[in-house]
Amino acid sequence: MSQHTFETVVVPHLDAAHNYARWLTRNDADAEDVLQDAAVRAFRFFSSLRADNPRAWLFTIVRNTWYARVAQREARPHVTEYDEMADPRPNHHPDPEAQLLRQQTVDRVRRAVESLPLDFREVIVLRELEGLSYKEIAEVIGAPIGTVMSRLSRARERLIDLLGPAALPGEVR
Amino acid sequence: MTCHEVTTVIDAYLDGELDADQTANVARHLDTCASCRRHVEEREALSVLLRRLPYYDAPPQLKTAIGRTGRSLSARRRVRTWMAAAATILIAAGTVGGLRSVRSSQETSATADAVIARHVEALASSSLIQVASSDQHTVKPWFQGKLDFSPPVPDLTSAGFELVGGRIDRIGGRTAAALVYKRRQHMIHVFVWPASGNVRASDARTIRGFHERHWTSGDLSVWAVSDVNDDDLKMFAAAYMASR
Repeated sequence: MSQHTFETVVVPHLDAAHNYARWLTRNDADAEDVLQDAAVRAFRFFSSLRADNPRAWLFTIVRNTWYARVAQREARPHVTEYDEMADPRPNHHPDPEAQLLRQQTVDRVRRAVESLPLDFREVIVLRELEGLSYKEIAEVIGAPIGTVMSRLSRARERLIDLLGPAALPGEVR
Repeated sequence: MTCHEVTTVIDAYLDGELDADQTANVARHLDTCASCRRHVEEREALSVLLRRLPYYDAPPQLKTAIGRTGRSLSARRRVRTWMAAAATILIAAGTVGGLRSVRSSQETSATADAVIARHVEALASSSLIQVASSDQHTVKPWFQGKLDFSPPVPDLTSAGFELVGGRIDRIGGRTAAALVYKRRQHMIHVFVWPASGNVRASDARTIRGFHERHWTSGDLSVWAVSDVNDDDLKMFAAAYMASR
């Protein structure tokens, strides 16, 4: 704790930041660009960091970087993408091998998560993959805790619908 | 608690965000209510599935580059000008560009290897051809409904390449259209799939005596591989491209 340098405080969270960026952007190239830009910003704002939660702080920067890009790239409202329910990659593989692959659970779940609107997707990732508390998520997304809770709840409902409520518990056993 | 009240806090309950009293209240309700219990079970099952999702670590080179950039900038931290900020961004952009070209080159080699391996394997197997015909109007329609793209199947007889047939194949996790052409006794494979960003758009190489050439045609990536000499393959590629 003697030295609060960029390297000791921020660099340990780059994997988590990249994971978050990858789920936001849904592709490797954008995720790397976002992480890179976010790291630059993180460095510039490093002196303003109150050292209590550097990971959440870095997530916030990653998120702002991506939201700014989305807004820039497409002049459409950048909070929700409810039109994204369709799988972004067409998946009409005719051969049995591809069909088998497609049925594999992880892949199905991944696609279901990727099909969620951005604001649903990010709360799922922050909670389920990164294990952030509601308070931390609220900090990252700049919304009240109540919003975090309702968004998370709706995102989970949506996933359960997408994955099939009857099939879910059976698949885990 | 009513079912409705439980429903509104069910996520907070599972996420450990309720205080002890509320948690106990929800637990009591769940003891007696199968329908709410079902909701809890669904969410628990979902959570298990979600924890199996891929976790995307940052590429090691990128982490190193960021760490290095951070260190070098700490050293001259007092220089807080726009120039410093701009330089930072330039350095960063440079690493990303560099990284991407490294990755692109690695991926291109890996794909070339895979294409050549498939070429050799397929020639040795009995399933080289799923649709045998020297007529492009037989081979091309055969792919219809089997692929979500339409591979060009040109007639290259006049250039000295005879169409033998085609099949569906898989290369490095992608579904590809495989076309087989023949020049004298040499087989030429053409693999076609939708182009993705990470591979060099066009390139050629020779590996273990096989020549490989690939190029992008519209939004399709086309890979030709054979043991014919490289000039013949170059000619083949030119003829194939020109026929579109």
